[in-house]
Amino acid sequence: MITDAGESHLRRVSHWKLYFLLLTVVLVLVFVFSLNIGFSHIPFENILKILAKNIPFLGDIVKTPGTEEFLRQESIIMQIRMPRVLGGALVGVALAAAGVAYQGIFRNPMADPYTIGAMGGASFGAAVAIVLGVGVALLGVNTVPIYAFIGALGAVFLVYVISREGTRVPVTTLILSGLTVTIFFNALVTYLKLLAGNKLHALTFWIMGGFTYTDWTEVSTIFPLIIIGVAIVYLYARDLNILVLGEEQAQHLGVELEKVKKILLACGALMTAAAVSISGLIGFVGLIIPHLTRIIVGPDHRILLPTSAIVGASFMMICDSLARVIIAPSELPVGVITAVSGGPFFIYLLRRKRGGYTVR
Amino acid sequence: MVKLTIGDIDCYYGSTKILEAIQFAVKSGEFLGILGPNGSGKTTLLKSISRILKPKKGAILIGESNIYDMKTLDVAKQLAVVPQTTPVTFDFTALEVVLMGRNPHMARFAMESKEDMTIAKNSMQLTNTWDLANRPVTELSGGERQRVIIARALTQEPQLLLLDEPTTHLDISNQLEIMDLLKELCKTKKLLIVAVFHDFNLAARYCDSVILLNDGKIVAVGKSEDTLTSENVKKVFCVDTIVKKHPITGYLHVIPMPKPLNQRQKSLSVHLISGCGTGSSLMKILTDEGYFVSVGVLNLLDTDQETAQLLKIPTTTEAPFSPITEESHKANLKMISKANVVVIAPTQFGDGNLRNLEAAETALDEGIPVVLMEDGSIEERDFTKGKATKYLEKLKSKGAVTVKNNCGLLEFLDKLENKNSKNCHRKK
Repeated sequence: MITDAGESHLRRVSHWKLYFLLLTVVLVLVFVFSLNIGFSHIPFENILKILAKNIPFLGDIVKTPGTEEFLRQESIIMQIRMPRVLGGALVGVALAAAGVAYQGIFRNPMADPYTIGAMGGASFGAAVAIVLGVGVALLGVNTVPIYAFIGALGAVFLVYVISREGTRVPVTTLILSGLTVTIFFNALVTYLKLLAGNKLHALTFWIMGGFTYTDWTEVSTIFPLIIIGVAIVYLYARDLNILVLGEEQAQHLGVELEKVKKILLACGALMTAAAVSISGLIGFVGLIIPHLTRIIVGPDHRILLPTSAIVGASFMMICDSLARVIIAPSELPVGVITAVSGGPFFIYLLRRKRGGYTVR
Repeated sequence: MVKLTIGDIDCYYGSTKILEAIQFAVKSGEFLGILGPNGSGKTTLLKSISRILKPKKGAILIGESNIYDMKTLDVAKQLAVVPQTTPVTFDFTALEVVLMGRNPHMARFAMESKEDMTIAKNSMQLTNTWDLANRPVTELSGGERQRVIIARALTQEPQLLLLDEPTTHLDISNQLEIMDLLKELCKTKKLLIVAVFHDFNLAARYCDSVILLNDGKIVAVGKSEDTLTSENVKKVFCVDTIVKKHPITGYLHVIPMPKPLNQRQKSLSVHLISGCGTGSSLMKILTDEGYFVSVGVLNLLDTDQETAQLLKIPTTTEAPFSPITEESHKANLKMISKANVVVIAPTQFGDGNLRNLEAAETALDEGIPVVLMEDGSIEERDFTKGKATKYLEKLKSKGAVTVKNNCGLLEFLDKLENKNSKNCHRKK
């Protein structure tokens, strides 16, 4: 049956809500299952009851057993597992959204917070904060994300300046300078270890990455940063679409290029910094998630960004669950899981010939 | 009604001056072409008009307002640009790309409306791309993609349209279709079009006026007929051209002259007797071989006469469709007396040009060798009731050599050349 091309386009757009809903359902399921994973066995029924109890208003209606067993389970869920799972989800959102933003700005699916150098910069900033001991609280504010943000911003700016050729940012130089800057900052972090003294323990644990020690303070610190970051990128979703036609054409279509680029690069750095400050270096999430999501929902950033964020959150929670399960009772660093799944994917993208993804 | 004014602008890349003192104005409904050699600043000019490269000096006005003082969005509502090529990374469909043209007209969070869709569909139908609507642009051919980008520009509903060699990647039928469409929009919708061209004939055919750029400066500006002259083209491109109105289309045609082959100049001087196009290829071959060639007598408007003019070959001419007069016959004899050899091409003979054979006889009498090129029977090209046939027989009996084809002729001339260059030089 031949249908009008315009109608089939509109139908595709009308599917956006469906994708969003479905992926949200997946997200909630993954969330509940992640809460279920851990040393002590807590039945799903109780998990749901605990969740319900802790939702304002709903909590007053739901009847929960007041047994000691239940209260113990509640404190495990709410104090140990919940911040960990939420932290993972937020980091997944941040990295995926930053990946979408970077890939859009650079018109290149190989760009992500890691390859762009943002992560290297952020980790250096965070390491400085940890070693200087200012990380815990300065006037009651957790400063690790601030230092990480400054580091990430500096690194992205550096990479952008190095790889820019006239008005273009060619793939090769972008990736190469991104990796160079990352290596440079990694070296600085290694040097910091020597200077760390009694902070070495904290630094090493942080570098290993993961959500083992994530607490509510950290979650509540990065939550607003990441939400603000995603919201601002979403404001420019249509501009990111238009950027696919190239920087000049974007300007011809009314995109205030320089302003938009600066804002988006900064947002990417902000989200990366927020993520890195609690989880350390976790690679490849920002690379895989936008790409996979693009295959499902198409390249339009108005749907790609929110769905990538959701998929990123789910992916991160799954990876963290695996990290807890695979060699239980010990844990794998979650970065190992993402790298093992992301590495081959990166190579697949590199080898892929179609669509101008390869180095030109 | 909108007016684009380029007021005496200078543009720089870094410290290198690319454009100097560019000044012109265009109105709605006009089609302006920008022509010039590579690196003359055409694309730079387009960039500075499209708000990408701010001129260091001077101003660019749409109506009364300086585009560099306007908001990006406001400029985008009035001005659309079609670049040479558009590399696209992600798999957006053609329709999605075309709909991007609505961006300047949409509120930040608005989705494309039915109306936007109608406008997009309309411009895709105009550019013959509606059947590609749901294909990813990354999978389209260069020509298809360019038509999609033009549709995108039209979807912007601009009053000004800038194009940078818009049809370079298109085949001839698409080229004409797109250009016809642009011309049509220019007339009916009073669109103001400024386009960079590489192809003179395309520019001559569609542009109302033309700017010739060289080295960042305007060499000539004005109506296409006044600007696209062979003098101007020579000045800018250093290429010899023939510029003339095509008899059928009535459009100006610019024909570049073939550069002579780098053949050593030969000593032999060849006089050619031909007509009706029988000598055209010979003239080219002989000049390429390095022989000094002259032709006569040819009627004006004869194909051979036009060829001779193109190749700048000295020619004795006669008024169109007139028999050879005593006067031109004498001029021809004078030309022949300077030649080392006379070549008679297998042309038709009528009473009008029989005197050319008489001239050949005179040449034989003066001791100048004559070569007859034979192609089929003489009777078929004799329209003089046998007089020409008889004349040719007479020439043969007086020592005229016959050759079958161009190869034979060149072989003969080669031998003659060797002999001639040993003995003496070309007759003066």
